[in-house]
Amino acid sequence: MANRTLPSLCCFVALLPSLSQAALYITIVQGLGGQPEYDSEFTESREKIEAASHSMTAAENISSFNGESASRENLLKHFADITARMNEDDRAAIYLVGHGSFDGETYKFNIPGPDLSDTDLKNILENFPGQNHFLVNTSSTSGAMLESIVGEGEEASNPDYIIVSATRNGNERNSTHFGRFFADALTNEEADLNKNSTVSIEEAFDFATRSVESYFEEAGRLSTEHAQLRGDGAAQFSLSRLSEIQIESENPVINDLLQQRLALDAEIENLQLRRNQMSNAEYIQQLQALVLRSAELSERIENQQGSAAP
Amino acid sequence: MMPRPCKSILKNTALVAAFSIAGWAETASARDHLYGALDNPDLLNCETQRWSSRPGEADKCYRALQSLEYPPLVRAEAFWALGDLQNANTAFQTAQNAEPENAEVRLRWGELFMQTFQYQEAYNLFAEALELDPENAYAHIGAAGALAQGDNGEEVNAHMMTVVENALAPAGARLRGLVMMSRSAMQQDRYEDAREILDEAQELAQENALPRMELNALEAALAFMTHQPHEQFVEAALAEAPGYGDAWAIPAYFADITRRYRECGEFYGKAIEVQPDHWEAHLELGVNQLRQNQVSIAREHVQIAYEGDPFNPKTVNMLRLLDTFIEDMQVLNFPDPPQGPFPTLELRLDKKETGILTNYARELAMDSINLYRERYRFEPKAPVIVEIYPNHEDFVVRSIGMPGVGILGVTFGYLFAMDSPIAHPRGESYHWGTTLWHEMAHVFTLEASNHLVPRWYSEGISVFEEWRTGPIPGRKIPNNVLQAMAQGKFLSIAELDDGFMRPTYEDQVIVSYMQAGLVFEFIDIEYGFDKIVDMLYLFRDGISPVEAIEQVMEISVRDFDRHFKQFIDIEYGPMLSSMGVWQEDHRASYAALEEENWEEAVAAAERANFVYPDYVEVDSPYIAMARAYSRLGDEENEFLTLQTFWEKGGYAPRALLALADRYIERDMQDQAHEVLKDVIWADPYNQELHVKLGDLYLERNQPKEALEEFRVLLALDPVDKAAANLRMARAYQALNDMDGTMEYLMTALDIAPQYRDAQMMLLELSRTTE
Repeated sequence: MANRTLPSLCCFVALLPSLSQAALYITIVQGLGGQPEYDSEFTESREKIEAASHSMTAAENISSFNGESASRENLLKHFADITARMNEDDRAAIYLVGHGSFDGETYKFNIPGPDLSDTDLKNILENFPGQNHFLVNTSSTSGAMLESIVGEGEEASNPDYIIVSATRNGNERNSTHFGRFFADALTNEEADLNKNSTVSIEEAFDFATRSVESYFEEAGRLSTEHAQLRGDGAAQFSLSRLSEIQIESENPVINDLLQQRLALDAEIENLQLRRNQMSNAEYIQQLQALVLRSAELSERIENQQGSAAP
Repeated sequence: MMPRPCKSILKNTALVAAFSIAGWAETASARDHLYGALDNPDLLNCETQRWSSRPGEADKCYRALQSLEYPPLVRAEAFWALGDLQNANTAFQTAQNAEPENAEVRLRWGELFMQTFQYQEAYNLFAEALELDPENAYAHIGAAGALAQGDNGEEVNAHMMTVVENALAPAGARLRGLVMMSRSAMQQDRYEDAREILDEAQELAQENALPRMELNALEAALAFMTHQPHEQFVEAALAEAPGYGDAWAIPAYFADITRRYRECGEFYGKAIEVQPDHWEAHLELGVNQLRQNQVSIAREHVQIAYEGDPFNPKTVNMLRLLDTFIEDMQVLNFPDPPQGPFPTLELRLDKKETGILTNYARELAMDSINLYRERYRFEPKAPVIVEIYPNHEDFVVRSIGMPGVGILGVTFGYLFAMDSPIAHPRGESYHWGTTLWHEMAHVFTLEASNHLVPRWYSEGISVFEEWRTGPIPGRKIPNNVLQAMAQGKFLSIAELDDGFMRPTYEDQVIVSYMQAGLVFEFIDIEYGFDKIVDMLYLFRDGISPVEAIEQVMEISVRDFDRHFKQFIDIEYGPMLSSMGVWQEDHRASYAALEEENWEEAVAAAERANFVYPDYVEVDSPYIAMARAYSRLGDEENEFLTLQTFWEKGGYAPRALLALADRYIERDMQDQAHEVLKDVIWADPYNQELHVKLGDLYLERNQPKEALEEFRVLLALDPVDKAAANLRMARAYQALNDMDGTMEYLMTALDIAPQYRDAQMMLLELSRTTE
């Protein structure tokens, strides 16, 4: 039977009440490459994102657009459809992979036919029910979209959703490298800094940013892109799972152990939230006890699974 | 102040003189003698009092001249003489408005700008004065002084000759010109020329009853430079002008530029005794005290200089640096406690870098000290102080007072300062280990010769030691130097100092470094290393390099040059004759790499390496070849190429890290260890290096060494903190230190509670202790 999996153990406490109802809707849009090498790069990134997305949500909640299907009309209809299906607890994640342009006033994501504008994207995000939705735009000049949606400088607001752009503003017009590194992060253990086997938005962003810096450093060139992240909760929003994390099993013994471990992980997170309320020695002592129990449970789960295996 | 168009003639004022008279400004900032530039009798009366009495005694006379009954130009001079530069400037402006056609106003106003280090403004005023009065000799001299701050030697000389060669020019202006020329000749070690110029100037001064105190100060400097008694000239200057601090400050300047820092400090100290308001002497004394490790007293003098003359950018820079120095630097002595009267080594590191560099800098510095002790038969008589600056501009200011100069290290005797590896962008070819090795050799050559070693000799030994005994042995000669060699640009040994001190083409300094290094390769191979050290000790007695070569090697300089050329021809002749082919193949290897034509990249690199197999700079053909082999999937040839690159002294960090991986894959741990150690001297900020080296130490059951590497890793604030802490825990576990193990293990688990490897270790430990 299929095992159910958690999006991210680190946000277990916060998400637990709505787990059974909450759904994640993922939309991946591959824009026009213009040249074969960009077409190839964008396709590769889109495919990586698609694969990673399957570790996070049901296949019917993943929508991918490229070529002629990625028209403005299709996309607006798609977003209207999922908006209608979503409830307050559901979340949406949008990946825009491609080129962008900015004429000084309007940002556009380049797709066949009329482009998607910054206003279109803002409307899409604002129409989603609930909050904490996510949009990553890996295109050149995508910083202009960010400024358009959340404002500039001191006037920038803290949005109810999480937005990532590959560039600082609309003046960074060179084709970007951020997108392919962001896609790489979704399947790369090096991105998983808290070792919880999932990659959060924050981890993917940090990985891609570091990779872009290294890329330009090694090439001996000044960086022409500076990615931005806005909004709260990027560390809690998981984008991919690096390995299966079971939370249910047909084997009642394993199932019981899994539930115990989930509860322990929740306790650890709760302890970490309360660390300022106790001495460091007390905190470490309690953490050690909880982690030890979690480790023992993991070992017992593995042993049970080993003995159950044919 | 009236806005003035900027004619950009003055370039980098901090550079060492590229032409003859750049040193003029060293003492031009104080208000000099008028030398007849003005003739107002009341002003001249005050001037006479000023120069013939102690400082301050003429103030009453100048104050009287501030009255509105005097012309604005005279009032401006009075304000200036009393140190009120703002009112002096206003009065000059008033004078110019009142007498717009008076060249003298602009001339003297220009001199005021010279004092406040605004050389472009000063030049503009001198040029305007010359438009009004093209024959004005003082304006020509002023223009030459301002231009001397840049690199426009021809214009300087044109202005100078207009005056000096004109018998009808005012004697005072001609005397100023001769003073500048004598100073220039001394800066170029042309002592006989300086002697002739001074003789002419003395005669001129005597015939025209002009002041001679500056000439006597220069006589003192010349005597000092030529190892003759100098005191009587200083006494003569002071007899004429008892408050004339330059009587000592001018010789001090020449002691400074010839690296005789002890005498330099002594002379500047006497200058401020004679003239307590000689702000520049205070500054230079402070700079010199800092070289000799007297930080507190140095700051006092720099502060005094700032309060007296806040316009001097060098003072401002130095004050900022001293603040940084006191607040940010940490002092570490080795051994601690000392095993003798003083520690062997004192490291001064930025507090942010101690966790990263301390062990590496100590290891390299101690190794070099112990080696040089033996090789140069010299036992240090004070701690060797090594200052490493993470900010390049701080280091440069500390070294020469002004930012913007591309140097890597400077040695002042027992103390040297250098750039930290972080002072240069990652990926550049800065090899800090070699810089440290190079500067340490200077400590020994300077001190063993009592600071009398010629520049080329000291630099040559340092380069030679880099190649022979340094952290990455092997001759490393840059491409541009090879081209210079091919074009026959090496100098005679008798003129080699000129290549450092007075370069005539863009790359000549680096060409001279390499030539000097090769000279010692030649001497070592042909005559033996002892001759090098024997000659070094002769310099203590003031013997010239030419005399030293003739005495120790029993060969004329002409024959030496001829034999050296033969040596170069043998060593590099075939390669130099194929230089064009090598350059083309070198370029082609990287071009093919860019075009992803891997086979051609290998072929071109092979051709280049055949012609010049020792070229292992960061753009070496070996690097192109290894990358191409890697893309071709030819792991064995990639490995062999990287290995050759490293064995020949290549140090490109990424290539060496890749080679270390190949060695580890082949279970060649000793070689992997050596390669990784070499990366430390090039790029100690590389996190991957410390992970690999620490893991290797653990593998080799060297947990103490592993712990040090992981400590450095943590000090680098690694991205993956959980993994770094787990590594620390494992090293402590290997050392049977349970407290350390648990501390770092729990830190890892606090960062990443679900970190399976850390959880497993905790589980294992809990069972072991049960």
